[in-house]
Amino acid sequence: MLAYASGRLVQTVLVLVIISFIGFLLVSNLGDPLASLLTADSTAADRAAMIKALHLDEPITTRFLSFFGGLLQGDFGISYRSHEPVAKLIAERLPATVELALASLFITLLVAVPAGVHCGVHPRSALAKAIMFGSIAGVTLPNFVVGIALIGIFSVKLGWLPSFGRGQVVDLGFWRTGLLTASGLKAIILPAIALSTFQVALVIRLIRTQLMEVGLSDHVRFARARGLTDNRIWYVYALRNTLLPVVTMLGLQLGNIIAFSVVTENVFAWPGLGSLFLQSIQAADMPVISIYLILIGAMFMVINLFVELSYPLIDPRVLRRKA
Amino acid sequence: MSAALLEVRDLRVELKRGKQQLTALDGISFAIAPGEVLGVVGESGAGKSLTGAAIIDLLVPPLKRTGGEIVLSGRHLDALSREDMRKVRGRRIGFIAQDPMTSLNPVLTIGQQLVDTIVTHLPVSKEEARQRAVRWIARVGLSDPARRLDQYPHQLSGGMRQRVVIALALCAEPELVIADEPTTALDVSVQAHVLQVLRDLHEETGVAVMLITHDLGVIAKMADRVAVLYAGRVAEIGPTSEVLRTPRHPYTSGLMRATVAPGLDRKALDPIPGSMPNLSSIPPGCAFNPRCARATAECRSQRPPLVDYRDGAGKHACFHPLEDGR
Repeated sequence: MLAYASGRLVQTVLVLVIISFIGFLLVSNLGDPLASLLTADSTAADRAAMIKALHLDEPITTRFLSFFGGLLQGDFGISYRSHEPVAKLIAERLPATVELALASLFITLLVAVPAGVHCGVHPRSALAKAIMFGSIAGVTLPNFVVGIALIGIFSVKLGWLPSFGRGQVVDLGFWRTGLLTASGLKAIILPAIALSTFQVALVIRLIRTQLMEVGLSDHVRFARARGLTDNRIWYVYALRNTLLPVVTMLGLQLGNIIAFSVVTENVFAWPGLGSLFLQSIQAADMPVISIYLILIGAMFMVINLFVELSYPLIDPRVLRRKA
Repeated sequence: MSAALLEVRDLRVELKRGKQQLTALDGISFAIAPGEVLGVVGESGAGKSLTGAAIIDLLVPPLKRTGGEIVLSGRHLDALSREDMRKVRGRRIGFIAQDPMTSLNPVLTIGQQLVDTIVTHLPVSKEEARQRAVRWIARVGLSDPARRLDQYPHQLSGGMRQRVVIALALCAEPELVIADEPTTALDVSVQAHVLQVLRDLHEETGVAVMLITHDLGVIAKMADRVAVLYAGRVAEIGPTSEVLRTPRHPYTSGLMRATVAPGLDRKALDPIPGSMPNLSSIPPGCAFNPRCARATAECRSQRPPLVDYRDGAGKHACFHPLEDGR
C-alpha cells in the first residue's frame, strides 16, 4: 500500500511541475506585460525599472525557477487587468466554485446512486424506463438550458428560490462560505441542480450497466443462494463491485465541474472562478489565465490522486495487479 | 416416503425460445431422506444443475418452473413468497456453488461473507457470528482460521476457496445442502480433499446432501442413493451399489461402460452412440430410444413411466430393463 501510494504521489508531483511549466510558457510568451502594466506617459527609465522588477532580462530557466518558487510560496504574480495579486483574485472566487461543485456532487450521489441501483436491479420496471428516458434528457440538454428552465420555474413563476448570486456569506478567515446561512443555502440549490443534471444522468447509466453485468455473476448468484436480503446483495455485494469505474468517473467529473462551470456560473451570476476566467480572457490577462490553468490542473491531479488512493480500499486486488 | 426431508414430485421447468416453448425438466420426481446423500448424475445438459436451481428457486430467466411440487419437511416450497423462499435458502437448504474462482465476492473478505450469511439467518450477535465463522473456517480444514477471516478470496487457492464455499453453504446450519458439481472446477489432487471435507461435515452435522456430478466415481464414493437423469427426465433411481452394479436402464449401463476407470484396458471403454438430444428435438416416447439398442416400436411412441423394482427400493423408466446389468 505504501509503495502504491508513494508511486502515485511522485507521479502527481511530476505532472504538476510540467503543468506549471506550460503555464509559465503562456505568461512568458503570450501578450506584452509591459504594454499592459505601463501607463501611456511612462518613461524609458520606468520601462527599464519594470523590466528589472519583472525579471524580464533574465534567462528563461532562471525565470521559470523563480516563477515556480513563487507558486510554492503562494506568490502567483500580478494581474495585468486589475493590477492586484492573482492570489487574492483567486482566493476571493475559489470558495464559491468549490462549494458549488461539492453541492452538485452531493446531489449527484443522492439522486444517481439509488436511481442507478433501481435501474440495474429492475431494468424492465416502469420506473426504470422512466428514469432512463429522463436521463437521456439529462445527457443531451446543455447545462445553461436546464439553468434557465430552473430559474423560469422556481424563481420567476414560483418565487421560491433566488435566481442569482450566492446569498449571504460567512467569513471563516481562510474561506468565505455560503453554506452556513439560509440565503446562501437557498442560493446554491438551483445552480447545483443545473450543474448536476449531466452527472446524474451519466452516473445512473454507468451504475445501471455495471450492475446489470455484476447481477449475472456467479458471486451474486451464490449470495442469493445463501439467502442474503436483496438490499444487502445489491447495495453491498454487487454495488461494491461497480465502484471502481463509478469513482473514477465521479473524480473526473468533479474536476470538470470546477474547471468548466463557466456557463452555469454565468447563468446564475455565481461569483466563482468561471466568471473570473471569462473576464480574464476578454482582457488577455495572461497571469490570471495561466494561474487558473495551473490551479485547475493541480485540482484534477489532486482529485485523481485521491481517486487512485481509494482504489485499494474498494478493490484489494488492485494492489496485487500493481505488484 | 412420508419421512422424506425433501420430496420433489413431477417437477417441470420450461423456457421460451422465440415462439417455441421448450421443456428442460420434464416430470422429475425423487426424495431425499434426512441425513442421506443422493447423487444426481447425467451428461451435460441432462438437467442436473437445473434441478438443484429449481428447488431453491434460483432459475435464471427465461427458465421457469411451470409445474410440480417441492416439499421440504412437509412444507410446500413451491408456494412460498419470494421473501419466505429467501429465508429457506441458506438456512434450510444450503447451496455449494460450482466454480470457487468466481463464486466468492472478490471485494469482500472471507469473514464478511461468512458473518453476513450467519447473521442473516441465525439470531446471534456479530461477535458470536465472527467466532462461528472462525470455527467454520477450521472445520473445512483451513489453517490459521482467525487470519483467514481478514483475507480476500484472491489470496486463497482454488481448493481453499472451495472449502470456503462449503463453509458458506453450511454456516447457517441447513438440513439439506445442494452441491452443484462441487469438484468439477478443481484439480484432481484437490478434488479428493474437498470431497473428504464434504463427507466429514456430512457425518458430523448429519446434513443431507444432494450431490450433483457427472463423475460416477464420486457417486460411488459418496452417495447412498443415485438418480440418473437423461434429457430432463429421471431414467433410474435407487441405492448406489444396486444401480452401479446392476443398472436396469440401458442409459445407466451405457454411462457405466463409457466411464474411464483405472484398471480397465482401452477396449473396455465403450461410448454411447450418438448424443443427448437438444431441448428442441427430444424424440417422442422414451427420450433415449434413438441411442438404445433395445428400443422397440413401443419405446418410440410411448413414454415409459417411472416404475418400482425390487419392492420399491429403486425405480426405472424403461419398458425393457436390463436384468443382469448388461
